[in-house]
Amino acid sequence: MAILEEPIKELKILKNYINGEWVESQGELKDVVNPATGKTLAKVPISTKDELNKAVEVAKEAYPSWRRTTPLTRARCLFRLKELMEENFEKLSRIQTIEHGKTIDESRGETRRGIENVEVATGIPSLMMGYNLEDIATGIDEYMIRQPIGVFGLICPFNFPFMVPLWFAPYAVATGNCIVMKPSSEVPLTQLKVAELAEEAGIPPGVWNVVNGGRTVVSSLLDNPDIKGICFVGSTPTGKNVVYKKCGETGKKVIAGCGAKNCLVIMPDAILDKTIAGLMTSIYGNAGQRCLAGTNIIIVGEDEAFYKKFRDAFVEKASKIRVGYGLDESVQMGPVRDKTKKERIVSYIEKGIKEGAKLTLDGRRVNIIGNYPDTCFLGPTLFEEVNPDMAIAQEEIFGPVATFMRAKTLDKAIDIIHNIPFGNSAGIFTQSGKWAREFQYETECGNIGINIGIAAPMAFFPFSGMKDSFFGNLHPQGQEIIRFFTESKVVIQRWL
Amino acid sequence: MKLNTTSAVVSFAKDLEENSTKFYENLIQKFPQDKETFLAFIKENKKNVVLVQRVYYEVISDAIEGCFSFEDLDTDTYTFDTKLPKDLSYPDVLLKAIKIEEKIQKYYLDSAEMSKSLMADIPRVFEGIAKRREKRKVELESLK
Repeated sequence: MAILEEPIKELKILKNYINGEWVESQGELKDVVNPATGKTLAKVPISTKDELNKAVEVAKEAYPSWRRTTPLTRARCLFRLKELMEENFEKLSRIQTIEHGKTIDESRGETRRGIENVEVATGIPSLMMGYNLEDIATGIDEYMIRQPIGVFGLICPFNFPFMVPLWFAPYAVATGNCIVMKPSSEVPLTQLKVAELAEEAGIPPGVWNVVNGGRTVVSSLLDNPDIKGICFVGSTPTGKNVVYKKCGETGKKVIAGCGAKNCLVIMPDAILDKTIAGLMTSIYGNAGQRCLAGTNIIIVGEDEAFYKKFRDAFVEKASKIRVGYGLDESVQMGPVRDKTKKERIVSYIEKGIKEGAKLTLDGRRVNIIGNYPDTCFLGPTLFEEVNPDMAIAQEEIFGPVATFMRAKTLDKAIDIIHNIPFGNSAGIFTQSGKWAREFQYETECGNIGINIGIAAPMAFFPFSGMKDSFFGNLHPQGQEIIRFFTESKVVIQRWL
Repeated sequence: MKLNTTSAVVSFAKDLEENSTKFYENLIQKFPQDKETFLAFIKENKKNVVLVQRVYYEVISDAIEGCFSFEDLDTDTYTFDTKLPKDLSYPDVLLKAIKIEEKIQKYYLDSAEMSKSLMADIPRVFEGIAKRREKRKVELESLK
């Protein structure tokens, strides 16, 4: 198939977007590299503490006026942003593919998911409403109103450069807050394009700011007393030990979406061909770099014939996955984000072998469609005979690696899930409502899939998470994010 | 060539519609007597492209099996040439048109069948277009 045209042709020196202006940073520059071709796409600044603090300052200045802007007017800005995103749908998607590596289908899917969050946020005049009750005592009424809080910091991950920031940003500004966003320095291009669209949509200067950078920007956001809350998505060590801890110390509101190790349970009555398609997307989609990716596949029952049939169908489908550049429409799996990440995944494959698991599919040997350097590519990998205590079954690999485990009963499968420190997502494939209900009821995970490979909540539901996968009280998206970005104020009134 | 991803399936649908348009444009040049019918087909082809692309861009989501809902749809099965040899009579051209419509219809039905339980809205639109193709075949038969 023909390769789709790349959306960016010339190397760019990226700027920060502060107070409605594109500002050059004094920080050092880092290459943004297309993981499939190895081509440098842009140079991103690693901004300084002063630059971050300046962005927070202007956001704080913009806040009183933005807060007083009516919810309807704020919603209209978001309606315009949504329309601009639709107009730029293909460009936004292709940018994701070139900077992240995901396939064009995956990028377009991500774009759609991100836009859905803007769509939901446009309903802010209704979403932000409080409630009231007359005569809580005779002649006395009580009501609750939601008020914005101030400036929020957004610390975004590399794996969903478009969608994850939009779990937060549209809701934050819709509720009357201002934001300072730090996109991942590995994939900054998408959010800088979004900032251009936010500007075009008429979101006033200072309301939506983007500061590129690394650890300095993160720690400055956490330290800055004018930042009232932090939205973070990233690894568990950083989320738990740095972001959550620091926000607790400084009294900031916090959402910290973290790592995962998701299990998919295959019951003996699962419809095999549809299950396998779901598993391919879940395990190998986005090259496994997804916090909802299924990685541990637990096959329930002692029926060897079923296991063999399932295994053979899985191996056949996985070994045929076309790996290559995501702008080639025939490609089903792109590269992982960079060389370091590939090396980390390879080290887990080696660990699995050492631990005694059987390497059925070895992704280290990969057939790449097209003439691209193999720097970041990996093929689908499968381990069989995996023990639930092995590192490959317990730790987040964040790559296209699946493990097969066996469990005699559904209860035993749920035990395996509960012995993993994470609780982001789990799924069951079955035709039995009884098993499905039992699984949904018992499993301690935030997002449950029933015959769904990726249990990704829609924008009007919270993106949940438990155990080491989430730190905070309220989750991204839906009603919960409105509560996160607002304070509930209660008024009790009596007219004498 | 084998098609496996939704993006490839949608692009190929667009190619088929555009080639169908080319074919009817050639046909009108050579046999203008039923021009209105073929112009209506051309208009419908354009509408089909819009329908297919719209449903794709609206339904595609990070969470569904975009790269894995189709398996080895072979483009050779559905490809057709749009040329009209000089010595071809009008009835022969109509026969060729029917065969083209059959191929396109088969493409939409095969891909709808393959993705039915996974992609939801896309097979529904594909089946709708396939149904209209059936009507076209009847219309072409009536012109013979």
